[in-house]
Amino acid sequence: MTKVILELKDISKSYGALRATHKLNLSVNKGDVHALIGPNGAGKTTLIKQIYGSEQPDSGQILLNGELINNTSPSVRVRKGIGRSFQISNVLLGFTVLQNALVAELARKGEAFRFFEPAFSNPSLLSGAHDILQGVGLLHQAEKLAAEISHGERRLLELALAIATNPKLLLLDEPMAGAGAEESRHITSIIKSLKSQHATLLIEHDMDAVFKLADRITVLVEGETIASGTPDEISNNSAVRKAYLGDGD
Amino acid sequence: MQALKRSLEIVKSSPTLFILLLGFGLFPIYTSITDLPFWNDIAMRIMLLGMAALGLNLILGFGGMVSFGHAAFIGIGAYSVGISQFYGIDNGWLHILFALLFCAVVGLAIGFLALRTKGIYFIMITLAFAQMLYFFFVSLEVFGGDDGMGVDRAEFLIIDLWDPLRLYYLIWMALFAVCLLLLLIINSRFGVILQGIKDNESRIEAMGLSALRFKIIAYVLSAAVCGLAGALFANWQEYVSPDIMHWSRSGELMIVIILGGLSYIAGPLIGAIVFFLLEEFLPELLFFIAPNYSENWMIIFGPMLIAVVLFTKGGLMAIFHQIYLRLTRRQGTT
Repeated sequence: MTKVILELKDISKSYGALRATHKLNLSVNKGDVHALIGPNGAGKTTLIKQIYGSEQPDSGQILLNGELINNTSPSVRVRKGIGRSFQISNVLLGFTVLQNALVAELARKGEAFRFFEPAFSNPSLLSGAHDILQGVGLLHQAEKLAAEISHGERRLLELALAIATNPKLLLLDEPMAGAGAEESRHITSIIKSLKSQHATLLIEHDMDAVFKLADRITVLVEGETIASGTPDEISNNSAVRKAYLGDGD
Repeated sequence: MQALKRSLEIVKSSPTLFILLLGFGLFPIYTSITDLPFWNDIAMRIMLLGMAALGLNLILGFGGMVSFGHAAFIGIGAYSVGISQFYGIDNGWLHILFALLFCAVVGLAIGFLALRTKGIYFIMITLAFAQMLYFFFVSLEVFGGDDGMGVDRAEFLIIDLWDPLRLYYLIWMALFAVCLLLLLIINSRFGVILQGIKDNESRIEAMGLSALRFKIIAYVLSAAVCGLAGALFANWQEYVSPDIMHWSRSGELMIVIILGGLSYIAGPLIGAIVFFLLEEFLPELLFFIAPNYSENWMIIFGPMLIAVVLFTKGGLMAIFHQIYLRLTRRQGTT
């Protein structure tokens, strides 16, 4: 039986007269990649922000594993099982790649709040951090500053940091944005290889990647769902073709 | 063995700091040989300002929190001594305990409210709280109000501070302890997360850590260190007035940190030394050039500070660090 990890019920959010999301309903199952697509300004990132907790919905319910999480902060939601990558690379630029992974490992193990224990010399933490980097193929860049690696590698590092917390739900906001073709393929293969472990909500403009990865696709236009279904259903949906894919028929 | 190894690691992590501490420790020998005891007094002022700046630098340099009100904690520390004595408590250890406690409690209250804001709002709120405390102490006529109150040097059980050299070494030991504590904290897991918050707070939150919690604790620790400096300052000056918590003092702390280098643990101490030497010698230098302007030494100091900020990109410690790197590279190639 499939397990529902994320459930959104009638989520609405407006900024003054601008309607960002309107009565959105959506669910993501464990092991599924659920893609959110839509033109710019459709409300995709705003929805991700509401699920993550950096924005609050005006109305509606957000349920993680059946638990209502509307009134919790982002850090609490992460501890409850949400991992997130951001639209713009969001890593610790002044830290090395390995130190980024070590901080993630510290957070995952709940050992960050220690005042006198050295941070970077614990063998078990180091081994965990190596595993994190190994998982995305970044171990060879471990000693480099995150600011000095390529943009695509930074996207990979961010993905690694999001996965490092062992999330139940992975929110990926354009993980391939700005990455080269080879790096995009690499990121796609990583997301695919890990999909069984999480429920994944993916925003991505690279349609090849979306149709390769997604089990379900929801199409948003002006904050409303215009279609939701399997990739085949979406690609054959005339409303979607008209509104989003640019079919002139 | 483990402790010894860790101690060596700590010393290695900031050799400049330990050279400075050793220098301060041996300085009275120099002043007694050269018969210049006046310089001990200057060294005590430097150590006290350096200690307070070290406290502020925990949140400013390592946590990215620009607090413009830390002089308030120096004042609370100093008044803890004065007010305790007013009520007949003469034990210096108790004074220090009160200073740490009051500063921690006030720091917790201010931090809890102010740290919910960021940037210019945080700066303004910390400044506002500090000015509120300043005027609160101005209004306390029973403790001298604007004129302040006299303080006797406290008794530290077996040590009384009638001999200035005893006070000197008490301040030195306190500075040593503060440096050690801050070094341990900065290199600890807590310290690394704090530096992560400075680098990118949203990433730390995205890892499931509450940045606010880390920031509040760092703020409280920072306030307590400033309180300790204040308590010792009251003993050194034998007088305390609201002037010690004026906003310009908070600015002085920030100048010292920026001058020395806010990303370095030894930065505030270097900054305090250079600041006091300039304060001592610039007026004399100006006297030779333009006698009527010798009091306005800040006219020279201002551009010097701007030059340090613009060209060193990390304070004086950044220059030392560059020189050290070049020397070690040269040694490596020969």
